[in-house]
Formats: sequence, structure tokens, C-alpha cells
Amino acid sequence: MSHVITTEGLTKTYGSRTVVDGLDLRVPEGCVYGFLGPNGSGKSTTMKMLLSLVRPTRGEISVLGRPVDHRTRHELSPHIGSLIEAPPGYGHLTGRENMAVVQRMLGSSDRQVARAVEIVRLGEHMDKRVRDYSLGMKQRLGIATALARDPRLLVLDEPTNGLDPAGIEEIRELLVSLADRGITVMVSSHLLDEVDRMASVLGVLGRGRLIFQGTREELFDRSVPDLLVDTPEPERALDLGLPAVRGPGGLRLSGFDDAATADLVRQLVHHEVPVHGVRRVRQSLEEVFMDLTGREGLS
Amino acid sequence: MNRTAVAVELRKTRRARVVPVLAVMVIAVVALSSANLFSDSMRADLSDPSAQPWEQLLLNHVVVAAMTSPVVVAVLASRQVDIEHQGQGWTLARVCGLGPGQLCRAKALVLGAVLTLAVAVQSALVAGAGLLAGVEVAFPAGMWARYTLTLALVNLVVLFLHLWLAARVDNQFVGLGVGLLGAFYAVFALLMPAWVALALPWGHYAAISPLGTGPDGGLAAVTPAYGVLVPYLSAVVVLFAVACRRFDRAEEGPA
Ligand SMILES: Nc1ncnc2c1ncn2[C@@H]1O[C@H](COP(=O)(O)OP(=O)(O)OP(=O)(O)O)[C@@H](O)[C@H]1O
Ligand SMILES: [Mg+2]
Repeated sequence: MSHVITTEGLTKTYGSRTVVDGLDLRVPEGCVYGFLGPNGSGKSTTMKMLLSLVRPTRGEISVLGRPVDHRTRHELSPHIGSLIEAPPGYGHLTGRENMAVVQRMLGSSDRQVARAVEIVRLGEHMDKRVRDYSLGMKQRLGIATALARDPRLLVLDEPTNGLDPAGIEEIRELLVSLADRGITVMVSSHLLDEVDRMASVLGVLGRGRLIFQGTREELFDRSVPDLLVDTPEPERALDLGLPAVRGPGGLRLSGFDDAATADLVRQLVHHEVPVHGVRRVRQSLEEVFMDLTGREGLS
Repeated sequence: MNRTAVAVELRKTRRARVVPVLAVMVIAVVALSSANLFSDSMRADLSDPSAQPWEQLLLNHVVVAAMTSPVVVAVLASRQVDIEHQGQGWTLARVCGLGPGQLCRAKALVLGAVLTLAVAVQSALVAGAGLLAGVEVAFPAGMWARYTLTLALVNLVVLFLHLWLAARVDNQFVGLGVGLLGAFYAVFALLMPAWVALALPWGHYAAISPLGTGPDGGLAAVTPAYGVLVPYLSAVVVLFAVACRRFDRAEEGPA
């Protein structure tokens, strides 16, 4: 599998604070890559480095098979559409005038611009001023500016930020359809829900470090679901000093892998605690995610 | 100068109401400068060379321009730069291959051109008001043209300063406040010794005045301190160019 984006030890420090720490990203071609992390974990900073808007302190970046630095910026920018932090748009101009500004800067054709507008389905709002746009319309205009050059790669920073569920669904369908056309889409979010059903590959960032990268299934495998022990006498088990809390039907224990589970059962039996059953809870992806990011939450 | 940046800047200017802002300035300056021409007490002076009707009118123009230009320039500069802060324009331009410094230079060119045009029209209209009122004394064309030219140059320098300030400080109240203080300073400098006027660029609106008080208490032609003004103005132009290069080389936007 070839990668559209690879980074080696990508690091950014501001003063003495390391905000992005040794990232080794692998974004496969033609996929939707969900780039997840809590607020302040370094998603935007990473994306800015990929677009050479911010200079890395250390590390290498390769995009579309080319090293990224100030010299290759002009070669690469025609192939990369991007949306960073907030969607761009001059409020005093109409959607059409905004697209004309972008068209002139990129040297795009009328056909490319018309197609970009059509893809985001903004056609009927093009003569409205952008200051009168809804948030969803602004996001779509931002995506249209990113698409106006027939990009091979889209780097979108929280494109669903502030949208209602219908708006999120719409963007999701749009990005999936773009990936179907062969465009690689890297999309960030601090909410797992938002990217869960569009991304086939996930990268999870926590405090500037990549704590997971792989498919959704691999993410499930990575985290050990909590253990539930059914027992009518949970107090006796707690008296043994187990790291457990009261759970449905008995006890709940976190972080017990298979070997630890076997040990636990042996210990309970040895102390004659009646064990009626031992099972694992079914985890939601959200919980898996919380596990990885250290339960600091995602929002 | 990057042609794409200029073309794009013109498109952005379309609905920015630059022309209405300048039209208001021109009308206000012409009206305030020439108001007393049409008073009854002036009527007799219009054909009396010793009453210096053209000099009086030009001095009015100097005072009114010193009062209004700093504010108008600040408003134009901050509007044109604020659209980039508000609309994520710096980042948009960067990913499209244009640095913030290139945008600022294009803004300087576009605003500088319309501002210079407005000053030419304004100066011609003030003179026209004199003719309309019936001034019959010979028109001091050289003095009038020299003042108009230097006013346009001072406007450009103050424009560059405000563009830089508006780009660096995204709160536009700062630039507008500086513009207001600049207007006070310019008017104040008219009453102060020449070095006060030369000290700050806003004082240059006073320093370029071609008229001073003569020995007889009337108005007398004076030569502005071009030896100080020209190097000063050139230095600001160079600093602006350097600042734009630094914007282009720095990370992200200029603020
Ligand atoms: N120019 C800068 N100077 C200093 N610190 C910065 C700068 N830019 C970002 N940071 C810091 O880097 C950290 C990561 O910021 P970043 O914007 O990349 O996070 P994020 O993951 O995009 O967060 P969010 O979900 O809130 O958008 C933050 O703590 C932020 O304060
Ligand atoms: Mg961010």
C-alpha cells in the first residue's frame, strides 16, 4: 500500500513546550484518514506542518512522494486542497466572488470551479454574501475552495465543527464520495462520532503523541475491555484488596488482560469467594478511545 | 509586485466601499475648506490681491486635510486588512501560493492609487470652489501643485504605516485610535515649531504646508523642510518593504 503522507519523528516545539512530539504518520492513498485527538493535542499544528504553513522543529515530512519544505511548497500546493481551523471566506463578498478570488490565486479553470461548487451543492447560494451564510454553508464554501484545483489530497481541519447532525452527515457523505473518486482525505476532529463512520483509517493524538494508528478494528483490539465478575459476595472480594469497583451483579475491574484474568479467578477461588461468572463488557468505540487518551475526555 | 496579488486585491475591493469612503472625504474636505469663501464678508476680498484669497483657501485646505486624512487613511487600511483577519485570508492566500507580505504590498498599491487619485480630485475641487466663488486674483498654480503632490506622498507613507499596524495587530480599534491621535497631532503640529511637525509622520501633514506667517502678519510662502521630509518618507517606504518580506518568511499570518 502506498502512502500519500508519511512523517518521521515530526516534532514542533513552541519555546519549551512540545506540542507535537515525534509523529510517524502513515496516510494510505485513497482513504479517509480520521485524525483524532482532544482539544490542544496538536492536530491543527500537525496539519499546518503538512501544508508547510508552520515549520517543523524536527523530523521529515513527505507528501505525494515529495519532501515538504519551502522549496517544494509551490510544486505541491496545486495538488493539495486544505481547510485549516476555520473555513475561509470574505464576508463582504458573495460566494461566487469568493470563488473568483480563489480561482485567480490558483489559476484554476472555470470548469474546475463550477465542479467544486457542484460537489458541495452550494449552487443556489452563490449570489448571497458570505456574511449571511449559515455555518454549514461556510464550511461547504471552504471545502469548495479546497476542491477548486482538482486536488489529489485534501487536508481538512475539523470540517464538521459546529454543524448539526444533518450537516455532519452531509459532509460525511461528501468526503466518502471524494475518497471514492480516488482523493485521499485527511480529516481531523476532537469527536470520535464525527469521523467514526467516514474514516477507514484512524490516527489518535494525545498530548502531541500518536497513541494509535490503524483501522477501526485494530483500535478495538488495542484496548482491553473491563472485566465483570458475577458474585453474590462482592465485599469479600473487595476485602482482598482487588482494584475493583462494585458493578452489575458483582465487581467491575479495568485493565485485566487474559493472564491477569486467570490470576484473578485463581485468587478468588483460593479465598473461597463464590464466582458465578466472568465476562468482558461490550465496549463502544468511544470507550476504547477514552481508554487510549487516558480518560481525559475528548471535548 | 505580484500581478496575481494585485488582481485579487481589486476583486476584494469591489464591495469594500472604498469609493464611498473616499467620496465622503473629498466632499467634506472641499466643503469645509471653501465654506467661508461664500460668506458675505469675503465677497470684497475675492478680487483684492492683498487679501490673499487663494492663500487663505489653500491654508484652509491644509488645515482640513491634516484633520481628516489621518482618519480616512486609517479607516481604509484597517478595512482592507481586517477582511484577511476575519476571513482567514492569510491562510487561504498562503495555501494558494501568496504570502501575507505580497497581500500587504498589493493592498498598498491598490489603496495608494485610489487615495492619490482622490487627493488630486479633492485639490482640484477646492481650487474649483475658489473659481466658482469668483476669486479674480491670479491662481498660484506652482504652490498649489506642490502641496497636492506632497499631500499625496504623506498619505502614502501614513498608509504604509497603517497597513503594517493593521496586519500586526488584529484588533482594528488600535489602528483607528492611532489614526485619531494622528489627526490631533497633525492639527496641533500646525501651531508648533517645525521640528514638532517633522518628528512623527502624522505631523508631516503640517510640515508640508507651503504657507506660513510673514513679517507683516499676513500669509507668506515658505519652503517646507524637504531635506528632512524626503529621507524620512523614503525610510518608511524601505521599512514597509522589509516588513512585508518578513511577513512572507514568517510562519502563518502576520499578527
Ligand atoms: N503559535 C503558537 N505558539 C504557541 N503555542 C501554540 C501555537 N500554536 C499552537 N500552540 C499550542 O499548541 C497546542 C496544540 O495546538 P493545536 O491547535 O495544534 O491543537 P488542536 O489539536 O488543533 O486543538 P483543537 O481541537 O482545540 O483545535 C496548544 O496547546 C496550543 O496552545
Ligand atoms: Mg485545531
